[in-house]
Amino acid sequence: MNEIPAPVLEWDLIAPLMVLGAVAVVGVLLEAFVPRGPRFVVQASVAIGGVVAALGTTIWTATRTDVLDGDVLARGQVAAEGALSVDGPSLFTWGLLLVLALLSMLLFAERRLGGGLSAFTGRAADAPGSSGEAEATRHRLEHTEVFPLALFALLGMMLFAASTDLLMMFVALEVLSLPLYVLCGLARRRRLLSQEAALKYFLLGAFSSAFFLYGVALVYGYAGGFGLAEVADAVASRTQERPLLLAGVALLAVGLLFKVGAVPFHSWTPDVYQGAPTPVTAFMAAGTKAAAVVALARVLLVAFGGAEWDWQPAFWAVAALTMLVGAVGSIAQGDVKRMLAYSSIAHAGFILVGVVGATGGDGITSVSSALFYLTAYGVATIGAFAVVMLVRDASGESTDLDTWTGLGRRAPWLAGAFALFMLSFAGIPLTAGFIGKWGVFSAAWAGGLWPLVVLGVLVSAVAAFFYVRVVLTMFFDEPRPDGPLLAVPGAMTTVVVTVAAVATVALGVMPGPVLDLAQQAGAFVR
Amino acid sequence: MLPLLTLHFLAAAVAPVLVRYLHRGTFPVLALVPAGGFVWLLVHGRPDGTDLEHHSWIGTLGLDVSLALDPLRWTLSLLVTGIGALVLVYCTSYFRAGDPGLWRFSAVFVAFAGAMLGLVLSDNLLLLYVFWELTTVLSYLLVGHNPERSANRRAAMTALLVTTFGGLAMLVGFILLGEHAGTYSAAALVADPPASGPLVTVAIMLVLVGAVSKSALVPFHFWLPGAMAAPTPVSAYLHAAAMVKAGIFLVALLAPAYADTPGWRAVLVSLGLLTMMVGGLRALRQYDAKLLLAYGTVSQLGFLMTLVGLGTRSAALAGLALVLGHALFKATLFMVVGVVDRSTGTRDIRQLSGLHRRMPVLMVVAVIGAASMAGVPPLLGFLSKEAAFAAAEDLGHDLGWTVAGPLTLAGLTLGSILTVAYAARFVWGVFGPAPGVDPCSIKRPSYWLVAAPAVLAVASVVLGLLGGPLTELLAPHADVFPAGAHEPELTLWHGVTVPLMLSVLVLVLGVALFVARHPVAAVQHAVVDRVPMPDAERGYQLVLRGVDRLAIELTGRTQRGSLPFYLGSILVVVAAVPGTALLLAWEPTDVRVADSPAQVVVAVVMAIAAVMTVRSRRRLRAVLLAGITGYGTALLFDLHGAPDLALTQVLVETFVLVTFVLVLRRLPQHFSTRPFTLSRWVRVAIGVMSGVLVAGLAYVASGARVADPISDGFAKPAKEYGGGSNIVNVTLVDIRAWDTLGELSVLVVAATGIASLIFLITDRATLPTTRKPGHDSAWLRNPSLPPERRSIVFEVVTRLIFHAVIVFSVYLALVGHELPGGGFAGGLVAGLALMLRYLAGGRRELDAAAPIDAGVVLGVGLALAAASGLLPTLLGGGVLQSAIVDVHIPVLGTLHLVTSVFFDLGVYLVVVGLALDVLRSLGGGIDKDIETDHDDAQDDEREEVRP
Repeated sequence: MNEIPAPVLEWDLIAPLMVLGAVAVVGVLLEAFVPRGPRFVVQASVAIGGVVAALGTTIWTATRTDVLDGDVLARGQVAAEGALSVDGPSLFTWGLLLVLALLSMLLFAERRLGGGLSAFTGRAADAPGSSGEAEATRHRLEHTEVFPLALFALLGMMLFAASTDLLMMFVALEVLSLPLYVLCGLARRRRLLSQEAALKYFLLGAFSSAFFLYGVALVYGYAGGFGLAEVADAVASRTQERPLLLAGVALLAVGLLFKVGAVPFHSWTPDVYQGAPTPVTAFMAAGTKAAAVVALARVLLVAFGGAEWDWQPAFWAVAALTMLVGAVGSIAQGDVKRMLAYSSIAHAGFILVGVVGATGGDGITSVSSALFYLTAYGVATIGAFAVVMLVRDASGESTDLDTWTGLGRRAPWLAGAFALFMLSFAGIPLTAGFIGKWGVFSAAWAGGLWPLVVLGVLVSAVAAFFYVRVVLTMFFDEPRPDGPLLAVPGAMTTVVVTVAAVATVALGVMPGPVLDLAQQAGAFVR
Repeated sequence: MLPLLTLHFLAAAVAPVLVRYLHRGTFPVLALVPAGGFVWLLVHGRPDGTDLEHHSWIGTLGLDVSLALDPLRWTLSLLVTGIGALVLVYCTSYFRAGDPGLWRFSAVFVAFAGAMLGLVLSDNLLLLYVFWELTTVLSYLLVGHNPERSANRRAAMTALLVTTFGGLAMLVGFILLGEHAGTYSAAALVADPPASGPLVTVAIMLVLVGAVSKSALVPFHFWLPGAMAAPTPVSAYLHAAAMVKAGIFLVALLAPAYADTPGWRAVLVSLGLLTMMVGGLRALRQYDAKLLLAYGTVSQLGFLMTLVGLGTRSAALAGLALVLGHALFKATLFMVVGVVDRSTGTRDIRQLSGLHRRMPVLMVVAVIGAASMAGVPPLLGFLSKEAAFAAAEDLGHDLGWTVAGPLTLAGLTLGSILTVAYAARFVWGVFGPAPGVDPCSIKRPSYWLVAAPAVLAVASVVLGLLGGPLTELLAPHADVFPAGAHEPELTLWHGVTVPLMLSVLVLVLGVALFVARHPVAAVQHAVVDRVPMPDAERGYQLVLRGVDRLAIELTGRTQRGSLPFYLGSILVVVAAVPGTALLLAWEPTDVRVADSPAQVVVAVVMAIAAVMTVRSRRRLRAVLLAGITGYGTALLFDLHGAPDLALTQVLVETFVLVTFVLVLRRLPQHFSTRPFTLSRWVRVAIGVMSGVLVAGLAYVASGARVADPISDGFAKPAKEYGGGSNIVNVTLVDIRAWDTLGELSVLVVAATGIASLIFLITDRATLPTTRKPGHDSAWLRNPSLPPERRSIVFEVVTRLIFHAVIVFSVYLALVGHELPGGGFAGGLVAGLALMLRYLAGGRRELDAAAPIDAGVVLGVGLALAAASGLLPTLLGGGVLQSAIVDVHIPVLGTLHLVTSVFFDLGVYLVVVGLALDVLRSLGGGIDKDIETDHDDAQDDEREEVRP
């Protein structure tokens, strides 16, 4: 009998994943063995500690990667038997995801806002409004499983961004999605909405995952392998069976674009963002998008770079539609969370403009521009949702935009921070958003996509109209007498809002270091 | 230059702190910053060429802080800093003590001054854009300072939107230009412009959109009067000296290189002249003194744009002189209005009366400003207007404009007449007597409040007298243009020339227009009321409303929260895009349709069943019909020569079917009634499309096989190493045993999870410890069904076959290695046997048949499988390695024992456990739920009967 060789794992390269996975598993054990009283604090501390440890490991790993010889800048290497690519973009995304997750974990752990209870329901199995639910609240039950769940989702995101093998990518997709489906349904307030959101997300997500898997199968049929490099070789050498390849690319794209939240696979976004508990929405909006964009870019540029002309037109259309629908849709929204959801759709469009530019070289590349945009978008998004958590009335968060009128008069700092995030979303100079937009548009420009750039700038104007209107409502309208109460922000939320605001300004005024980092990340390693 | 800019922003940062200690006294302190800049510029002197200063900022994006100083910039910087300092001093007395918004206002104002200075000094176009947008945002904050009415806020928002839009258009233009030329340096772009072509033309037009919108030209002029909601110092600075000049500055900057771009002159001159007329006519109809000035500014901006846009040497000089003149007199006039407003409490010229007696000094200042605006000698306004007329007169020679030249001159003359008229109207309206109104009572303005406009008025006079030196100072800017018919000169006396005659004509006609203001106003009103005029503001509102409407329609139609709609849209795209790709690249492949007629029959039956499933209205029928497709698949397997697969498929299908039925008891019998509306047809179409796509993909995929199937290599090792001829089973328990073990764990976890959810709802977490006796039965041990639901035949049959089936299931599990069967199939059969007991006798009968917790069975099964995998390692083999042992048993013969059979038994137990779990939770659990509901209903009935 032939010996099956044991897989060779580069432990030093995949250490961040290992650390995070181990901490997540420890979280599951803690769930079983730590008594209820201190469990929340223990879980939160372990989760935060785990993310910090993984972040440290990522930095350690990043310092050990070498720049590769070649005509384009690239660093790192393929690891884990060709399943993962620990290259510059992966490491940057890991770092980004971990920072965003750290901020999100602080929001998860915030208990000052809801009368000493977290934003998650006490016992998810109780029917909303039932006596069991009241009992759970009375006994101050809390689902501390959210921490390990979030860590698993985070692990999935990190894997997703680094997978250089379609099958691995599918596994990562599921690892990141399944915990999120559950987390979406755990809101303490407006539970029916939350459960509906979770169900919708799950059903649509399951469909899109299935399409992705179907696409994987077809591409495998075409290329005879799952590795993106193998696919790329096949694309370069095989001329028959184009239908199989094209259909495969299209189906893969469905799954990836669904996670990115691009039109026409965006329809879940507003419903789910609105229904999910706000910390989860923040985590999901920032993290999933980052992971999915990097995965999409990797698939398109590494595996199908040789068939660029076949997929690019479709992606131009998707990018254009996504920007338009997101920007126009956000105008009609009366709910802050829905509005942010549409805004995230529009941002997905802007990022896609950069990605489909498919430019490499010395200047700003598709990848580095997308990475920077994701950073700018991610911090502002988490910050904005953190502010949403603080504007409350008797029944929880007050997300109706009408109740936000005059907020600037009553809480100038809070509203100021929110206004800052809005301006960054609008891409006003000296905020991170401007540099981000500038980057993706330059990349697209260099790729020759000037019509998309022009459209993008026009859409920016539409979007700016909307963001500015929100700022106006907050600052220049009289506060309503029945306006929301403002919760005294707990230390954690304050930290999150402050960090996000400072980062938004810092990335706008002194983007150099982060931009260089994104630039130094170089190309994908296959 | 960079320290100068930095100083402004630092001052902005400390301003709020200063306000806390100094209150209004902050303003003079802050004024030191722009004043310092002013002095520095004066000391530095006018540069002869372009001084560049370079600091790197964001190298990757081509964004650098590169600043430049040339004659044009120098002049504008002097204006920005000088008037900025004066306005800040003016603010000291303008604001009331204790205004709570001062900290913000002071900070934003100084920051704005810095941004404006930055705009003027930027050499890098992208940096210019950054400052450009910064002025937009900061000006919005200034305009929105203490807004009283919502109308004001709307107007302020309009200003912001219009200029932001223009800014973005300009950015696109910059990018087009910069990428085309390979540099973003304005100096380089002007010194060495890219060859003209359609791209450059488009880029320049986009840049002009930005300039025109910022400088409030038609059709963007409406934002400027709206922005008059701002405090007066803001208007004096932003709307007279600084921000509105940004567009003029940009045009003046680019004109030397790009004035010959097709469309440049046509657009700028026609828009400029039109704006001059529209602004002037509107100014004549205003009663609010500040609005009057605002429309006057619009008119003057048109004048300015015409001059700088012409791009001849004499026009450039006139334009720059007018920029200077306009800044001085308009800031003066705005500040005068502010003083009047503060002193009397109104700006309405119908209510202001008799101020000429009460505020004589202020009136003198105002008259100087207005006279300069009207072009009365010997003021600066006169010099620049003379120069402008002279430049327009030469157009025929300089540009070859034989027709357009005189027309331009006529337009400028007409516009100037209007200017004289509204200047007179302003002075008369504010300071003269108003019919039927008593002279206003006033609060004497502070000395400082009048000082600032007075200084500017004096400057207008002094510069008016210094025509020669001024020419020398400003000429280098004009000298980059080719020489024209006459060398331009700013002077009070040219001799008796056409410009002088025109000036006289303008003054005479303007005064006449003012004297005849009542009839003129009547005519104007009559025309405006009768003739529909294109109204840019209406257009803007329509666009806004249209976008709003579109947004609502779009989200209202697509985001209804309907899951079918979302899913449908995804499916449509999936069918359309890969479908199209498939069709476009279609390659016919050879496909065998069928091996035997039987396959065709089965396929047809399955298709019919599928269609009928969708069409059925009863849930139960739908489930049964769906089952047919499953059994059909099993049949296809069998026909293809895979009896083991077929067996498994049949068992799974049966198991699932029964589970379905158990759950269906708690659901309504029928699906909700749905009329066959259009939307259902659409869904049918989507379904058909998806089906066709999947079929197409299957067709393509089946034709694409080039490699040998991996299963070809399985047959031999299955026999040699796995010791069995049922390849499927050997694969499960030996070749791919790791996979199976993983799947088992997942199955156990899933079963436990689902069951615990249902038990949580039904409170049936454990087996009942006390066994309640059920109904008597000779055939079953503990049947719990009510008598009317029992079937004696069913009970008898169950009694007869239950044990036989269990034995058969064990047999299947054991022979799986050689014959169709295996642990999985065996477990399913055992599960079906248990199901039989449950169906015949209810949940207590099930408990009696299997008096054991499902969890235990699942756990033991998993443990057994794991142990049988680990055991070989203890004996020195590999994990999950099988050993083949032939044991000779007397009488029975040889037992061909492969150790993987223990693994298979583990599988068997897990499946049985799963079946128990399903029956207990979905079967027994729901039973109990129904009983409870039933009891409750009966209780309710009893209670109703009792009273």
